[in-house]
Amino acid sequence: MADIETGLKGQVSRREVLKKGLVGAAGLTVLPTVLAACSSAASTPSATPTAAPTPTPGAATPTPAAGTPTPVALTGALHVGSNHSDPSEKKGMDAIDAAFQAATGLAVTLNTVDHNTFQDQINNYLNTTPDDVFTWFSGFRMRFFASKSLGTAIDDVWAGVKSNYTAGFTTAVTGDDGKVYGIPVDYYPWCVFYRKSVFSDKGYTVPSTWTDFIALCNKMKTDGLTPIAFADKDGWPAMGTFDILNLRINGYDFHVGLMTGKQKWTDPKVTAVFTQWKQLIPFYTAGFAGLTWQQACDTLVQKKSGMFLLGLFLTGEFDTADPSGAAKKDLDFFPFPFLGNQYDAEKSLDAPIDIWMMSAKSQNLQADLANAKAYLKFWAAGSTQVLMYKANNGFIPTASDADTTQYDVLTQKAVQIVSAAQKITQFLDRDTRPDFAGANGMQSFLLNFLSNPGQDLTKFQQSIQDFWDKLPAYTG
Amino acid sequence: MSAVAIPGQRVKANRRRLRLSRVGLHLFLSVLAFVFAWPMLYGVYLSLRPFSDIITNPAGPFSLPSTLTLDNYAYVIANSDMLRFFWNTAVITIPAVLLTLWISSMVAFAISKYSWKFNLIVLLIFTAGNLLPPQVIVIPLVKLYNAIPLFAPLSANGRLFDQFAGVILIHTTFQTGFCTFVLSNYMKTLPNELVEAAMIDGAGVFTIYSKVILPLCKPALAALAVLEFTWIYNDFFWALFLFVTGDKRPITAALNNLQGQYVTNMPQLAAISMLAAIPTIVIYLVLQRYFVRGLTLGAAKG
Repeated sequence: MADIETGLKGQVSRREVLKKGLVGAAGLTVLPTVLAACSSAASTPSATPTAAPTPTPGAATPTPAAGTPTPVALTGALHVGSNHSDPSEKKGMDAIDAAFQAATGLAVTLNTVDHNTFQDQINNYLNTTPDDVFTWFSGFRMRFFASKSLGTAIDDVWAGVKSNYTAGFTTAVTGDDGKVYGIPVDYYPWCVFYRKSVFSDKGYTVPSTWTDFIALCNKMKTDGLTPIAFADKDGWPAMGTFDILNLRINGYDFHVGLMTGKQKWTDPKVTAVFTQWKQLIPFYTAGFAGLTWQQACDTLVQKKSGMFLLGLFLTGEFDTADPSGAAKKDLDFFPFPFLGNQYDAEKSLDAPIDIWMMSAKSQNLQADLANAKAYLKFWAAGSTQVLMYKANNGFIPTASDADTTQYDVLTQKAVQIVSAAQKITQFLDRDTRPDFAGANGMQSFLLNFLSNPGQDLTKFQQSIQDFWDKLPAYTG
Repeated sequence: MSAVAIPGQRVKANRRRLRLSRVGLHLFLSVLAFVFAWPMLYGVYLSLRPFSDIITNPAGPFSLPSTLTLDNYAYVIANSDMLRFFWNTAVITIPAVLLTLWISSMVAFAISKYSWKFNLIVLLIFTAGNLLPPQVIVIPLVKLYNAIPLFAPLSANGRLFDQFAGVILIHTTFQTGFCTFVLSNYMKTLPNELVEAAMIDGAGVFTIYSKVILPLCKPALAALAVLEFTWIYNDFFWALFLFVTGDKRPITAALNNLQGQYVTNMPQLAAISMLAAIPTIVIYLVLQRYFVRGLTLGAAKG
């Protein structure tokens, strides 16, 4: 129980993480320490402290893009495990690894495994022959594996790059034992997406209250649109709706309590969430239980549906579906409508942070340790993160020195919305224990509810609570 | 007269009934054939369409095409690194099939041509192995593989896990049971006099196996080779669990690589699926008589 409370504490204080992070990212502060961080990043790990022949560029000029690490020659090998399997993300990874090689002379060995398999295999992977460093998620998911000793603490790396992050980020990457296990590299918010042209053609206005929202849905329905695109084949997209409804109806503290087991699923407050949710289900895409979110997103591309609550990564599907970029230019979003209660002021939302971790059981880790640390430090630079952002606009950099002039309109808006939020959560499956969020747990409970919303909620909630109670004790 | 007319009418009626049932049968078979062919046909159709065409069309993937193009094939051939994955498949499938046939033919020979105490038990164990679903052993197997050391060049990381050798081994293990069962039944149909004659001529056990029995088993071995090739080629399960290195996967598991987290280009996925299916289709078309024979081999004892 103590462990869970430790986890909870971490989450509570995370409320400030992105808010502060974004103020920094918006270019309001250019930290001079960044340079120091980066030069130390490059010099500490090297076994051969010979400077590369190339002169250090701009070491004295504090430009926003000053994250360019000092070139230092690295020798040996580095094994990198990546779940960036989409074509655009692969390009981003290639660009970053090329930049890393240019800076250090070290060519990394990249092992790309498609995102869903990577996630399904993570236990296998970390317990057997993991790469030295790997892509993962902050929140409970990171703390879980850190507590199982499957991640290596990287406090020394963090100490070197900390100044490039706002203070709140530390909690997002701190494990239950108080040590740092990850380097945050990007995040994305969950909002309601829509097409500007559809709204202007039909005279719709962006709803800010629940009443407006429902009225708009009804109007869209009579106009022959699917009001809300929805898909839950993979189990997790529905969690986004649960999160935001719970945050709006019961507030951040209750939500976090529920995620960590301090609150009960049988609570009438949870009933209120599901009751509210029932109002939305008639507006969803038909057959959503068998659709992937991409398929639902395509209906938004085709202007067959009106709105879609999803993460900013949805823009990637727009890029693929309409390479001309016209559809994406027509894309806009707004925060989920407010319910007119005391929690409106929180303006809370899901904005998950992605991180890089160092594995513990990699066979090569001892040999590659210095290189691995150099690589993690390299990722902590805004200039590195912007390379990924340029390849796929769904990844908003977390580093304070990221060059915000590169951001497009949607990203700037996302930065604004997240900055305005008083409380930020990571997403249900990142905020609670994996065995609870997984396919046997919340994924199937939510699907069960969605396919049969009329069922006895008391019984339904009891079954969730029973599931939680039967889980083995979480030994952090 | 009437006595003649009645049978004639009856024949006519029979013929009509025959024709009706014929039509019904063919209708049924056509529908069934279509149902079976549908995934393949639809896959081909989907792979020929540009993604944007599907997205912009209100009927989605079921719409009529505005254009058909081979661009998806060109893209996946150029970008999916598929030659590497086909090579991985070959590295797994070919040794696994050869090993399976070699081992199972020896076991089958021993239990069908020699009489000793544990004949039946051994055959039972091998056959019972077929009934074990691979899913139940996957977690212990992963742990076991990770703990078993293996030397280079069979293993790049010093373990059995995440290595071709490990996947070949588990395929061989699982397929040997079925092959032993089939081959021993087949060998039982070969006259024992052949073995006895060879023994009288002074042939040793291994000579009898390699010079007498194996040549006679050629049809059975060919049929099994075709079956085993398709099964091992099509394996997704072991490849998914026993590899954590993306680049080592065979083509079946590597198809997932094209399915990203955020974007799945269905026509491209269809195109590479079609390409991945080609080897099995070719093998089947070329060797289909062995294939069909393989399915009934050992079903009846001579």
